[in-house]
Amino acid sequence: MLLSLIVFMPLVSAILISLLPKENWIRPTALFLGLAQFVVSLVLFAQYDPSTPALQLVEFVPWVPALGVSYFLGIDGISFWLVLLTTFLLPVVILGSWTAIDKKPKGFHIALFVLQTAMLGSFVAMDLVLFYVFFELSLVPMYFIVGIWGGTRRIYATTKFFIYTMLGSLLMLLAIIYLMFTAQEVLPAKQMTANILELYKLDIPFIAGQFLNPQTLLFFAFSVAFAIKVPMFPFHTWLPDAHVEAPTPGSVVLAGVMLKMGSYGFLRFVIPLFPEASEHYAWVFLFLGVVGIIYGALVAMVQPDVKKLVAYSSVSHMGYVMMGLFALNTYGVTGSIYQMLNHGISTGALFLLVGMIYERTHSREIEKYGGLAKVLPIFTILFFIVTLSSIAVPMTNGFVGEFLILLGAFEASMFFGSLAVIGVVLGAVYMLWMFKRMFFGEEGELVSDKKHPLHDLSLREMVVMAPLIVLIFWMGLLPNQFLQYSKVSVEHLVSTKDAYQLSIHTPQPESDAQLAFGMKFFKSVAQAPEAK
Amino acid sequence: MTTPLVSLKDMLVVAPMFALLFMSLIPVMIKVFNGNKEPKPFVTVVYALLGVIVAGGLTASLAGMKHVAFSESIVFDGMAVWGSLLVLISGGFSLMLAYDHVETDGRQFSEQCFLMLGSMIGMLIVVMSNDLIVTFLGIEMMSLCLYILVAMSREHTLSKEAAFKYFVLGSFASAVFLYGIALLYGTVGSTQNPVVTAKVAELLANHNQLFYLGLAMVIIGFAFKVSIFPFHAWTPDVYQGASTPITAFMATAVKAATFIAILRLFQHADPATRSSFLAEPKFLSVLSWLAVLSMLLGNVAAVMQNNFKRILAYSSISHSGYLLVGVITAGFAERIESSLAATTVVLFYLFSYTLMTLGAFSLIGILEKQVGHSLTVDDLKGLASRSPVLAGALAIIMFSLAGVPPTIGFFAKFSLFGAAIEQNLYWLAFWGVMTSVVAVFYYLRPVVAMYMAEASETLVLRPAVLTRMTLVLTAIATIIFGLASSPVLEFVSESVLTRL
Repeated sequence: MLLSLIVFMPLVSAILISLLPKENWIRPTALFLGLAQFVVSLVLFAQYDPSTPALQLVEFVPWVPALGVSYFLGIDGISFWLVLLTTFLLPVVILGSWTAIDKKPKGFHIALFVLQTAMLGSFVAMDLVLFYVFFELSLVPMYFIVGIWGGTRRIYATTKFFIYTMLGSLLMLLAIIYLMFTAQEVLPAKQMTANILELYKLDIPFIAGQFLNPQTLLFFAFSVAFAIKVPMFPFHTWLPDAHVEAPTPGSVVLAGVMLKMGSYGFLRFVIPLFPEASEHYAWVFLFLGVVGIIYGALVAMVQPDVKKLVAYSSVSHMGYVMMGLFALNTYGVTGSIYQMLNHGISTGALFLLVGMIYERTHSREIEKYGGLAKVLPIFTILFFIVTLSSIAVPMTNGFVGEFLILLGAFEASMFFGSLAVIGVVLGAVYMLWMFKRMFFGEEGELVSDKKHPLHDLSLREMVVMAPLIVLIFWMGLLPNQFLQYSKVSVEHLVSTKDAYQLSIHTPQPESDAQLAFGMKFFKSVAQAPEAK
Repeated sequence: MTTPLVSLKDMLVVAPMFALLFMSLIPVMIKVFNGNKEPKPFVTVVYALLGVIVAGGLTASLAGMKHVAFSESIVFDGMAVWGSLLVLISGGFSLMLAYDHVETDGRQFSEQCFLMLGSMIGMLIVVMSNDLIVTFLGIEMMSLCLYILVAMSREHTLSKEAAFKYFVLGSFASAVFLYGIALLYGTVGSTQNPVVTAKVAELLANHNQLFYLGLAMVIIGFAFKVSIFPFHAWTPDVYQGASTPITAFMATAVKAATFIAILRLFQHADPATRSSFLAEPKFLSVLSWLAVLSMLLGNVAAVMQNNFKRILAYSSISHSGYLLVGVITAGFAERIESSLAATTVVLFYLFSYTLMTLGAFSLIGILEKQVGHSLTVDDLKGLASRSPVLAGALAIIMFSLAGVPPTIGFFAKFSLFGAAIEQNLYWLAFWGVMTSVVAVFYYLRPVVAMYMAEASETLVLRPAVLTRMTLVLTAIATIIFGLASSPVLEFVSESVLTRL
């Protein structure tokens, strides 16, 4: 029941918030509920066994039996940290948007909590249709967050975001239906199923070099959906628009978690379901990953708007993630998972910091700043730490991720690996250049404005940043404490990806009795069709 | 042979129609015997709704029965039950909308209800018909009532234009339909659906040109009624011109009834083979193109509209395209089980479409200030702050129309494309998906206007209690039947199975 609790607690919280009578109760209640769901998710550490690649904490209830669709949740090393990242960022975001969201706070927090359910659901759903439902559901609250609380071009941005993502995912829907029918024909149960563990058993015909064969087509249908979400060059154009127009908390959740739904999709579905096609077309993704790294960095370099700069840096960073995934070796994949977390933390932190300065000056133009270091010392220090993390300086989290990804990339292809190294340099260039222009040198017009003196960070803002800063160093200095939870699953995936199977972890007898009952139930259901 | 011409069971089958007829006559009679003084609209609507409820109850209580009545001209099976219920649901809600409509001032409401119930009787005949001539009678009965209903919206020139357009084009389509039946009778020797379907293979193998022509004409007649491209041109004008409750009624009930008649024509003659029409590649490709073009034209044209009713009109054209994909799948499927599964999907899709469309039109009903005031998307601005409940309900319905999970609209599309893919009709499924993406754009526009735009003027919300109830009920139903689509699907598929 733990996973259901984690997934649906935010939804219940959203209902609770909608019942609050007074506006000034909303933020404290939301913060409390956000912290509560984070604490509940910490129980995962006690229940999760990192020594096995099998699926854990499984819940299985048939949903639409005629189509083989079920409510099937499970967690393994691939999704473990993403779930925790999601639950961790929510209270941070709520506290970070304490003053930024001044209109309709109730609706905003409801949208935020519903979004949380959708995102958590897509990380733990082990049924393709259930995953699709959560995946699509996440669009709706984000659509409202950008559209209602966004900037001036918010409607353009949010409509583009919605339609772009929907285009990709509908193609995936066709592919999902096709897979379900293939399962009906091929698998011994002779029944339609969307159960991902069953679908892993499929051996989908693949012809190298030809486009019109099932595996290639399915591979690209899934890939386009996730590549838009990641977003991978050349599908990234919705991202800068959405980020610039989104309110700060929206940007944080978008960059921090929603983009990971794309890269997670590659790892959970694309690579294990279509191993031959993944291997055959890996070069496409390595290439586009590198292009994304370099292109994102170059475009970020010339941005006059600091939020847009961070948005393009996202394109660049997600390029690393894609490279790591399609290096298809342990280093690369591990690095990718790590980089997903890093990106969530450091880009999230950058967006929060940009939001903080925007709240003070109502401008994001780099030109208008300069000399901030003298006026806002604490802000400068925090910004500097996050910048270092973003450009992957050793001892910060970014270094571990990028280093592992580059190791993997070199192992997969010397050529693309060396190109990616150029991206590392460029990344340092645009971030440090931006930092120099904003924090040193002549005082800009906004900084020297005597009528509106700038105040350094308040206690609330420091509390928001503190956990992020701590994590940046923690993950940079002690990566093994984090990696040990995903290690077995990644190794299992990489070593057996051609015939990937995921079993269900049977808990020890001394563990939770309810869970054991659930397992028994699952087994009886899973075996029922064979008995006929 | 001493079988009576009409048995008691026969009468039982048509009892719902008599219930409707009886109840529709009461208000008119009251008016006649009361010196042509209109009874209170509330009294009228209560009688009419009572008729609908009794008819629905009778139909539901007969569910599970299979009976061929009146010299095999009427067939009562699971599809008829489900079709009748759809017609009655949308008719009942449309009556509620009509009661709240701005125009209802107590002068002609009893006649309006009479005509609406009369039209529903026609639809029930269409749904149960086993014979093309009876189908024709039903369609004419339904359409004649509708022509008058469209024209009844007084003091409004658009409605006259719409009624005239609908009448002229509709009569033309009926004539083509009837001519088609005549040709079929000439070649087949019967107008009964099972006989026609049984003979198709043979006649097609002989390349009987008259048969081709007759069949094409029958299909054109149907296509006009459900506004399939290129017979859709009347739809936006008529939808805009007719008063909103009538539009809602036309958009939902007519479509449900006619699509069931189409399904009957395409059913399998023999469980062992596929429906013979679609075994002929010419018919398959023509119908597929009609479906694709309906989806394309409906969705693309809707993007360019600003009038909310016209948007919904084009959206209904595109939904006809999606439904036609389902019909093609049902006819094309080789095994009878797959065909019945596809039929189930079509019926489920009709159910979801009825719910969503009724909801969308009821919102128009609430915001309409006077007859003929064409509600644009911009008029919705600021609704979210004025009435969060209504805005939320419409948003749910719009997301459902766009096919966003977990609403019923998603599951309807999901099962529809699923059925098409199972029969390897990838091309149709692909176009269905692509056009759905286009559709997202215009379904989101009302949501943008309600939630994200600044209110330009103060909205006037009419009290219209029954209409509000319809909107909220349909919105809740789209979510509930979305999350629990399994029971509905099972119910429909069981009722379809009684056809065997």
